[in-house]
Amino acid sequence: MASLLQPDRVLYLVHGEKKIRSPLSTLYFCRYCSELRSLECVSHEVDSHYCPSCLENMPSAEAKLKKNRCANCFDCPCCMHTLSTRATNIPAPLPDDPSKTTMKKAYYLACGFCRWTSRDVGMADKSVASGGWQEPDNPHTQRINKLIEYYQQLAQREKLERDRKKLARRRPYMPLAFSQHTIHVVEKYGLGTRLQRQRPGAPITSLAGLSLKEGEDQKEINIEPAQALDEVEPLPEDCYTRPINLPEVTSLRQRLLQPDFQPAGASQLHPKHKHLLIKRSLRCRKCEHNLSKPEFNPTSIKFKIQLVAECQVLLTLTNPVENITHVTLVGCEEGDPEDINSTAKVMVPTKELVLAGKDAAADYDELAEPQDFQDDPDVVAFRKSNKIGFFIKVVPQREEDGDVTVSFKIRHDFRNLAAPIRPSEEGDAPTEAIWLTHHVELSLGPIIA
Amino acid sequence: MPLFEGLGSGGEKTAVVIDLGAAYTKCGFAGETGPRFIIPSEIQKPGQQQSIKVVQYNINTEELYSNLKEFIHMLYFRHLLVNPRDRRVVIIESILCPSHFRETLTKVFFKQFEVPSVLFAPSHLMAIMSLGINSGLVMDCGYTETLVLPVYECIPILPAWEALPLGGKAIHKELDGLLVEQCTVDSDSSTGQSLPTYIHIDPLMLFVLSRCPVRTCFISDLQRGLKIQEAKFNLGGTAERPTPPPDVDYPLDGEKILHIKGPIRDSVMEMLFEQDNEEKSVASLVLDALVKCPIDTRKALSENLVIIGGTAMLPGFLHRLLAEIRLLVEKPKYRDALATKSFRLHSPPAKPNCTAWLGGAIFGALQDILGSRSVSRDYYNQTGRIPDWCCLSSPPPESVYDAGKTPPPLMKRAFSTEK
Repeated sequence: MASLLQPDRVLYLVHGEKKIRSPLSTLYFCRYCSELRSLECVSHEVDSHYCPSCLENMPSAEAKLKKNRCANCFDCPCCMHTLSTRATNIPAPLPDDPSKTTMKKAYYLACGFCRWTSRDVGMADKSVASGGWQEPDNPHTQRINKLIEYYQQLAQREKLERDRKKLARRRPYMPLAFSQHTIHVVEKYGLGTRLQRQRPGAPITSLAGLSLKEGEDQKEINIEPAQALDEVEPLPEDCYTRPINLPEVTSLRQRLLQPDFQPAGASQLHPKHKHLLIKRSLRCRKCEHNLSKPEFNPTSIKFKIQLVAECQVLLTLTNPVENITHVTLVGCEEGDPEDINSTAKVMVPTKELVLAGKDAAADYDELAEPQDFQDDPDVVAFRKSNKIGFFIKVVPQREEDGDVTVSFKIRHDFRNLAAPIRPSEEGDAPTEAIWLTHHVELSLGPIIA
Repeated sequence: MPLFEGLGSGGEKTAVVIDLGAAYTKCGFAGETGPRFIIPSEIQKPGQQQSIKVVQYNINTEELYSNLKEFIHMLYFRHLLVNPRDRRVVIIESILCPSHFRETLTKVFFKQFEVPSVLFAPSHLMAIMSLGINSGLVMDCGYTETLVLPVYECIPILPAWEALPLGGKAIHKELDGLLVEQCTVDSDSSTGQSLPTYIHIDPLMLFVLSRCPVRTCFISDLQRGLKIQEAKFNLGGTAERPTPPPDVDYPLDGEKILHIKGPIRDSVMEMLFEQDNEEKSVASLVLDALVKCPIDTRKALSENLVIIGGTAMLPGFLHRLLAEIRLLVEKPKYRDALATKSFRLHSPPAKPNCTAWLGGAIFGALQDILGSRSVSRDYYNQTGRIPDWCCLSSPPPESVYDAGKTPPPLMKRAFSTEK
């Protein structure tokens, strides 16, 4: 029966937007809503950034500035491995006395995997170990920035026009010739067919409807429209006859790693800074509480908050909490809408089962008194500390080759230990127990003839 | 009031710009000069070797929804590293994108990731925007098809669209056929094996094969190309094929080497320019679109050709295209219809596969109007649909919710881990 502990055998039903069935190990339990949550019905958020090679945490503002790349680590442009900095000694003339030479350290980047070095692309050796390597700039940056400024000016104009239109509607005085209807029509069609009504989803039109000739602003940013060329450079003649040196030609993947340049020749492949990774935190969509929040430190794998379902919900009738828990098993009714997968009828014990609390010291305490629960030997097979084994009868319904699947509902009581402290006027009332019901599916394996 | 507006627009975070192509997806932030990442539009399911293409129009909604959800999850948390809830989204799309795909994509963004707003931007219009001109004939040579759409004074001339399914996908298919027929593979145990034996064993081989044309193949110029076509179809009977380029030994993985025959290298791309029975080729699309445009727009359009798309980056493509257009315009079909004979090509400030993305990034940086032109989450929740150019029954936003007035909802909670 150890096979019942396999992850896919026991599935719990999660009531979210979609009904999802998944093993308990992948589920979270929101103790404010008292419901199971799966990865699909929580919202994921970026928690912190860190570099995968130097494991340095980076604050979000800095990450945004550096475009989510580490300042110190580089990736090999050929094989995407992390580059290491190597040092050599080169003779260099002393600044005071040109005739004497002394050994100076020069640093270069090298890949331990594919033997690429920064000297292959012509990058000069640097005299500092880190911080000397720069990525090349995009040559079109200036033009693009100018374009953005120009369009921003047009956008401002459009906004002013739109606001002015709205204000114009509210003016109290109106020429008597205009009736309400006419105003409406004029607004719709009147102010020029060039300023069309902007509907989202309609093809984006007419930023050009506002030309810069309506000179209200003092400062106008004029932009030169791009010039089209008559001729395009043809392929070089030796392209037809020259044998290709395949290592010299970059592969598609290498090219696409550098979207700004996409060089065709391997001698232009420059290393890029290493991309960061993130730690994710999860949040319940309904009550907006955090379900899982990792530690800030990249080297730590612990969590500040971790409401994993295994710690809160009953797991194959092992009681994870420290209180005594009462469990009732109820078979699924006929026509239960959630009962779609079962291929067998199951008879579950009708009596309530009692599970002892989890006691961490019990393993070590050999003289522990045996708890006396009166167990019906027909129902309970064995009991050990907080575990219980019980019998169920399964009657397969179909003569199929598939697995036998049974489903039933587990109803158990749950005490929310993290509930907010109530005011003491109510007296020392113990925390109330909530009864939770989970729909469980067990896959028992194929029928042996 | 201006002070408040300044604060509102200054505090808004930069929008996310995504160009979801059939082969590659370009993603990044508005206002930047290039996409942060160009990644294949595929997801990898655990346990399966073959990756699944995300952009498929024929699968059922459930599967498409889960594929898109996984892909966009990876985009946000592996590549862009930002919270989806904070930033508006600009999606560059083709105008021929099926409504079903669009609606599923919108649903993923709004329901699963709860983005504040979404804007669908047509790729051809965005290409014009990246140049600073108002009119141009834009040709997008992509993976599934080549689509031509003229844009005049920032308005796409929709009736004049032209398309052919000649793109990266067709080239791969042709190349696969030729390789299987003619080429041999050497491995350490055997030499001269034919290719199908290896494809049968290892489906990943196809993936590697699809990368071959980029490194080894090219497009010949007009004269040479016409001679190759003649030799193939043997029209003259005595046509001789020009000397082929030398063979290439292409390593497939550590053990196997594929011998690519020389003639394949320059002839596989000819299919883009071979005219089929309807005399359509990639070059004729441009002229057909011009003929459909109003007469007064034709000169402006023909002198402002813009070529975007990954397939346009093949070596020799642009030169050949211009030469073919100039050749075709002398044919009787076009000579009488088109008075304009001058054709000029633009070079946008980005590589052709990122030009549409760049236009979207420029537009996304205009925070003043991005809000008013996007479909906000509230509008979507109330109407349940996204407006489409082909569907006239969507209610205008003014009657539902005034999207332009308020700034987008920033994170609702008092505490925030991100500035």
